[in-house]
Amino acid sequence: MYFQKKRCIAMLLAGGQGSRLKVLTEKTAKPAVPFGGKYRIIDFPLSNCVNSGIDTVGILTQYQPLELNEYIGNGQPWGLNKTHSCAQVLPPYERHDKKSGWYKGTANAIYQNIDFIQRFDPDYVVVLSGDHIYKMDYAAMVEYHEHHGASCTIAVRDVPLKEASRFGILNTNPDGSIYEFEEKPKKPKSTNASMGIYVFNWSVLREALIADEEDPDSSNDFGKNIIPKLLGEGHKLMAYRFDGYWKDVGTIDSLWEANMELLGKDPAFNIRGDERSKIYARNNAHPSSYIDADARVAGSFIAEGCEVYGTVRHSVISLGCTIGEGALVEDSVVMPGAVIDPGAIVRHAILGEESHICRNAVVGGAFGPGEKKQISVTAKGAVVAENSVLLPGEML
Amino acid sequence: MNVMGIIFANDATMGALTDKRTMASLPFGGRYRQVDFALSNLACAGVRHVGIITRHHYQSLINHIGSGEEWGLELEEGGLEFLTPYASSATDNYRGKLESLYTATPFLESGPEDELVVMVDSAVLSNVDLNKALAAHVESGKDITVVCRAGIANGAKQLDLAIKLDEKNRIADIAVDYQAPADYLASMDIFILSKKFLMKQLRELISHNLYHMDRDLVLGLWQKKDISVNVHCFDGVALFNESIEEYFSNSLALLDKDIRHDLFAGNHPVYTKVRDRVPTYYGDNCRIDNCIVADGCMLGGEAENCIFFRQVTLRPGAELENCVIMNDTVIGEGAKLKNVILDKDVTVRPGAKLIGSPSTPIIIRRGETV
Repeated sequence: MYFQKKRCIAMLLAGGQGSRLKVLTEKTAKPAVPFGGKYRIIDFPLSNCVNSGIDTVGILTQYQPLELNEYIGNGQPWGLNKTHSCAQVLPPYERHDKKSGWYKGTANAIYQNIDFIQRFDPDYVVVLSGDHIYKMDYAAMVEYHEHHGASCTIAVRDVPLKEASRFGILNTNPDGSIYEFEEKPKKPKSTNASMGIYVFNWSVLREALIADEEDPDSSNDFGKNIIPKLLGEGHKLMAYRFDGYWKDVGTIDSLWEANMELLGKDPAFNIRGDERSKIYARNNAHPSSYIDADARVAGSFIAEGCEVYGTVRHSVISLGCTIGEGALVEDSVVMPGAVIDPGAIVRHAILGEESHICRNAVVGGAFGPGEKKQISVTAKGAVVAENSVLLPGEML
Repeated sequence: MNVMGIIFANDATMGALTDKRTMASLPFGGRYRQVDFALSNLACAGVRHVGIITRHHYQSLINHIGSGEEWGLELEEGGLEFLTPYASSATDNYRGKLESLYTATPFLESGPEDELVVMVDSAVLSNVDLNKALAAHVESGKDITVVCRAGIANGAKQLDLAIKLDEKNRIADIAVDYQAPADYLASMDIFILSKKFLMKQLRELISHNLYHMDRDLVLGLWQKKDISVNVHCFDGVALFNESIEEYFSNSLALLDKDIRHDLFAGNHPVYTKVRDRVPTYYGDNCRIDNCIVADGCMLGGEAENCIFFRQVTLRPGAELENCVIMNDTVIGEGAKLKNVILDKDVTVRPGAKLIGSPSTPIIIRRGETV
């Protein structure tokens, strides 16, 4: 088969479990978790690729891939199903030389798909992760990489000093070149956190992956192994500063926060944006939403296919939800297909897909200013029985 | 069963709303075009070979349907074809459905010979199970099946084709362009017949300068006893959008839960072109009562009994009542609108006041500023 040579392709790491999302990722991979009413987390990096002119994306899946694979399908929603484009799901597979099996780490996942990448003979490979919410022009980053003649460029952002020890920290020279990388340092020397977005020269990455695989002591991880190794070998690594909105939605709290940050007159993350940074999603044939005469909706996003009879304040209501008469939903994220029966109260909660909150049930609670908000969570398909209570911070 | 679908994009009968588009591409119900219902009916019945017959202003229709991907009709075999007009020696630009079918002979003759042809219309909106109608047609052994709805005829509305059954369900009368009494059934402009029979009758009728589907094929041949007619009654929601008044009242009829649910989820989903708009944002002080709302709107004002299409901006202080607001419109602060249809891309200036009546809503043309 003939493959057109590509200047740049993307590899999207979507195999992680996202265990800190607890019940929300029990049966689905983190990148497939719904976000913002009609999206899933993976729509953001995928749409960024398309909006950056990257038309070939390998998607590395491993943990609970069924829903994710189905969602990506042939890549049609992102326009990645054309003659010269593709969205290829790449699960682990078996090889004759036994250098296969489950993806041992982020670098190993790419290593096992060297053949896939080689088919396109790319100059550059962008390595992304499937668990961040942001809009970014990867093309500008590739330009920067090329302009500086780097072997690898890593996107960085400023984080508060007290949080820096949670990230991979890049220490840079005044010209932006990296002289040191520290994975989760106890005493960070700078606040340049790696966003887990890399541009590599394919020839350099390929060699590094092969060498890394031969090292029995390596944990086959980009941050822990590949980047320090390239630095040690004297390669030029550049930091690419990104100041736009970016959120790791790896925890219940951050997922809830990121959804809330879509709301308001001047939202922290303006999802509307312009045509060129549009986020694409797989669409289901939902009709328009219906808002009843007795419904009250304020400061909220409501996606299509909803029927709202109750009150919704400061919340994100996803596709195909029903909110019954006299029900109240406040400061909450309601995922697709959830049903909230009449009289139920939902506050500071994330309701999983197709959750059912029965009549007069109470989920979550209210918090005073400055008080730590404890988010209640229901799993996909969970049922909160009539008149029952799910306490603040509780999960079902 | 091999089935071919034909959709008539229809002549425009809605004045300002259709002077630059077909009835098929007229927006309806917040996120749809009228043709979506016909296309979804065919696609969901497993029809994989569909021709769309269109005459004027088909640009917006082609733009909307494209390759038919959203309806699963982007196929190697069969799929979707636009049958645009061309004059032949036998016909000028088409005068009636039969002439348009006749000029589409190459399309009709493609595919297997034993095919059934389902003809549907884009001005009558329904969520009908065409497989049931097809099975009923085969079982009846008749030449043609007309899908009908009771309860539409009222002695005032002029029906394209009206059929009266006697107490034994035999056909007692057929009439065209008739203000039929309430005991007549209204044709939903859905016809099923075999390709062989259709081609034979087409050649015969066109040669005799007969081109009108309802009058010449159904009524004419029935009167001459040259055709046997089967009636298949549909009992779901059927919205006849044949005038501005009907379009307006049928739009607002979607506010009724039963009508809405039957039309959008009765037998199957209704597919439309994907636009990838963000969800609609409801501002802190908006007041939205009894409204249908599509994606991508920014709602800051007040609205009662309205249909909002995609990407509408309703500024704080604006007040709407009984309005149909098509996509990409902006309604300025303090504007007051009642019984108004705003076509696409309209801008309503702050403080503007437009008051129509239910029978003659005010229509603002596409792209205008008022």
